[in-house]
Amino acid sequence: MEDLLTQSTLVQLRVNGKLHELEVMPFTSLLDLLREELHLTGTHMGCMTGHCGACTVMVNGRIAKSCIVLASTLERAEITTIEGLRTADGKLHPVQQAFWDEAGFQCGYCAPGMLMSAVELLKENPNPDDAAIESGIAGTLCRCTGYRSIVRAVKAAAVRMNSPEA
Amino acid sequence: MPADKYVGQSVRTIEGRGPVTGTSKYTNDFAFPGQLYAFIVRSPHASAKIKRVDLSGALKVHGVVCAYDGAQVAEHLNPLTHYIDPGVFGGQSAELRAVAIDEVWCYGQPVAVVVADDRRVARYAASRIQIDYEPISPVLEIEDAIAPDARAVVPGWENNFIMRVPFRNGDPDGAFARADHVVSTTVRIHRFSTQPIETRCYNAVWEHDTESVTLYATAQNPHPMRYVLSQILRMPENKIRVIAPTIGGAFGVKMHGHPEESLICLMAKLTGRPVKWTETREECLLVGAREQRHDVQMAFTADGELIGLRDNFYANTGAPSACPGWGMAFLTGLTMPGPYKVRDIDVTMHAVATNKPAWNAARGYGKEATAIALELALDEAARELGFDPVELRMKNFIQSDQFPYPSPNGLMYDSGDYGGAVQKALAAIDYEGWRARQAEGIRDGKYIGIGIAYELTPEGGALPGTMVSGYDSSSVRIGPDGSVRVLTGVTTPGTGNPTGIAQIVADELGVALETIEVTQGDTTTCPYGFGNYSGRSTIVGGGSAALAAQELRVKVIKVAAALFGVEVEQVELHRGIFSVVGDPARTLTFKEVSYASYTRAYDVASCIMPPLEATATFKPSSIRHTPDENGHINPYPSYSNAAYVAVCEVDVATGKTNLLRFAAAHDCGRVINPVLVEGQACGAVGFGVGGLLFEDIRFDSSGRQLTRGFMDYVMPRCEDIPEIRMVHHDSPNPDTYMGLKGAGEAGVGGSAAAVANAINDALRPLGVALNQLPFSPSRVWGVIQAGTAAKQNIGEAA
Repeated sequence: MEDLLTQSTLVQLRVNGKLHELEVMPFTSLLDLLREELHLTGTHMGCMTGHCGACTVMVNGRIAKSCIVLASTLERAEITTIEGLRTADGKLHPVQQAFWDEAGFQCGYCAPGMLMSAVELLKENPNPDDAAIESGIAGTLCRCTGYRSIVRAVKAAAVRMNSPEA
Repeated sequence: MPADKYVGQSVRTIEGRGPVTGTSKYTNDFAFPGQLYAFIVRSPHASAKIKRVDLSGALKVHGVVCAYDGAQVAEHLNPLTHYIDPGVFGGQSAELRAVAIDEVWCYGQPVAVVVADDRRVARYAASRIQIDYEPISPVLEIEDAIAPDARAVVPGWENNFIMRVPFRNGDPDGAFARADHVVSTTVRIHRFSTQPIETRCYNAVWEHDTESVTLYATAQNPHPMRYVLSQILRMPENKIRVIAPTIGGAFGVKMHGHPEESLICLMAKLTGRPVKWTETREECLLVGAREQRHDVQMAFTADGELIGLRDNFYANTGAPSACPGWGMAFLTGLTMPGPYKVRDIDVTMHAVATNKPAWNAARGYGKEATAIALELALDEAARELGFDPVELRMKNFIQSDQFPYPSPNGLMYDSGDYGGAVQKALAAIDYEGWRARQAEGIRDGKYIGIGIAYELTPEGGALPGTMVSGYDSSSVRIGPDGSVRVLTGVTTPGTGNPTGIAQIVADELGVALETIEVTQGDTTTCPYGFGNYSGRSTIVGGGSAALAAQELRVKVIKVAAALFGVEVEQVELHRGIFSVVGDPARTLTFKEVSYASYTRAYDVASCIMPPLEATATFKPSSIRHTPDENGHINPYPSYSNAAYVAVCEVDVATGKTNLLRFAAAHDCGRVINPVLVEGQACGAVGFGVGGLLFEDIRFDSSGRQLTRGFMDYVMPRCEDIPEIRMVHHDSPNPDTYMGLKGAGEAGVGGSAAAVANAINDALRPLGVALNQLPFSPSRVWGVIQAGTAAKQNIGEAA
């Protein structure tokens, strides 16, 4: 391990608005960095192969599966995790609110993937139809719901975000 | 339903805020000062003698704290205690060790453990352990295991049957002798499993001051797990605390018996430091389930009455294990013949041990296999005899006026209207419309199919002499500030039952839902309970909480009456406000009455005994463990059931199935929270569709598992699940609190069978059908090709 320490890389990245300067090992995934160094445990491990989506975060505004992103490649990246979706005053993002109100989740372990995918989808397509929602969240596996409640929650989020008060 | 009741309303879950904000703490989110990490070395062979284990390479790695092989672990741990011991029911038990000692009997079996201060170091060090194996030719398939000359998977066993149970009633031979038609169908169900997105995780913390251990665990059943740990660790139960934090889905796989549970506790005890083990997806995929072969024979009269049923079936339950998975096979037999009125039956269950990894419980718990076998065989009969599949079922259902109905195996079905549910499901999907579209489609070369299936899912089960219990307990506590805490013996894997239970307590007590907190999954604070399985959490968790709340309501009403200076009959309580009948201006808050109950015990509140705490048990009266004159018991209080209809289109060029529509009519008794119940039902449909079309755990010829991640184990994604029309056809259970039936398990088998029947319906113009799961594109394509080739051969011969 000592030999490996000489291979570490210094990266600066902003996570949920906060700047971090960290020495990272060449093999450290973004998921491990978030969970183990920054104690942001809202991002979850489900498969470590990029298939389940429970580890999804935003990297520079685009969704990414943090288990297959190496932290050392993220120099000056802007990361948003599920903990960073709330506004500074603690108010839930409309997508979070809709998922809660509509019983979108059951166990909620897939929440990082579903919420981040929905946020990205609605930014690009404020009025998605069912097919757009289905492909928008296709990168995340949910084992509890059969997905219908998730589609319902994304639709409700779109309505909220399009209403003038939002 | 009065609008001022919480029960019956789709209220938002109390516990639902945590997951959306990322603040819920799942087991893997806990880390403690001095945290160590365990890595488990697993057998690469399905069957082998262990000649030598050399740990020295691992112990040299910097950061490694300890490493143990099976013999060393066995010095500290007793054999694993079974969740359900087959020996209790007359079957064969094996001595099970957390870490294999001289012999491994499945791929992936633990052979050594390494503990280090970093999980990557532990993993690396594990690769430095040298183990010499002498491989033995494995017994993998049912046919190999039951062959007369088969090697016994467990040394010393006479054969490979964990258990063989006949389920025989009436005169099946007579029924077959007088039948006009006999239809034989072999239904093969493959190995597929639950795969919650959160894998298993255990973090054991050794408490030096009390010489006790606290285990944070993905556990469905914390109290029974504590008992099992006490037996294996040789520690009294009061030195063990099991805490099940937020669970990321369970579906049975987090029922205990896994070797890692006691092993991680032991590592914490031996190192004196917290030790964590997090299951990888590859490890999670080792836990099998459901693999069965059914040889079904159905005897019919000329007009389609099912008069006799034979089913000789075999379950490949893998290597013996302390987990309760093998019991699924027993339930498959016990719940025959499902919703059908045939009484002359001859069913034999064989739970077979092989050198595949062991099963654990999987949603449906064997009842899904009953539905798959019966529903595929019924459709085969309908095709062969020229009956409409709906008509054939309608003719053979138990009628709604026959309840309570004793099944041929002695189960006492509480209520239901199976024919009515089918009609509702057909209406929900527009059955006639789809039949018309099917006829049009075939002219355009589109192969559309419509399939129906029924599933009867007994819930809330209790097996005598085991920790699978039918009752459970809850405590309700009101603090001097008027806030309410409910502690339950049941737990939640993320289904929303805490909110359902809180809705019940809010109504029974007369307080606002927001004033209630629910605590579950802690053996030190919660009343003794059996946790989560068998769709029981609302039936017995909600039922017991209601009884405790009723008891406290009586107390606070008494105190309020004393404070008002009126009779108790004159006091009303609604949403936390006490008032006097006929004098609405006189009110007291819940806080005022609660505070007085604690602080004025010697004057105005002397009419009650403090504190405002009550514990109650709900014990369903309809469970019967004393055998009747036929030797039958009734282990279930509740018989949920549902009709499923699927519409699909099969691409005959590729064999790929596209699901177009899905509908279900579900009878889960009284509904506490409609949106949560619907979520359960839709989730089960996802399991059924995934299992039928994609999910498959496969092995090579030497017994090495080939399915190691989500690349190989293909679970349905959003696009794969069609719109689901869910309608209710509820008949309240007369034997449970408020008529609850349970909603957690039903749907896996019924939805899988409906899709299977839809595919076979689509393939009907081609003259082929399939009764072997999964109905993967390659297999469907294969039968289409074989059918076409057969037709050509006939054509050439003619």
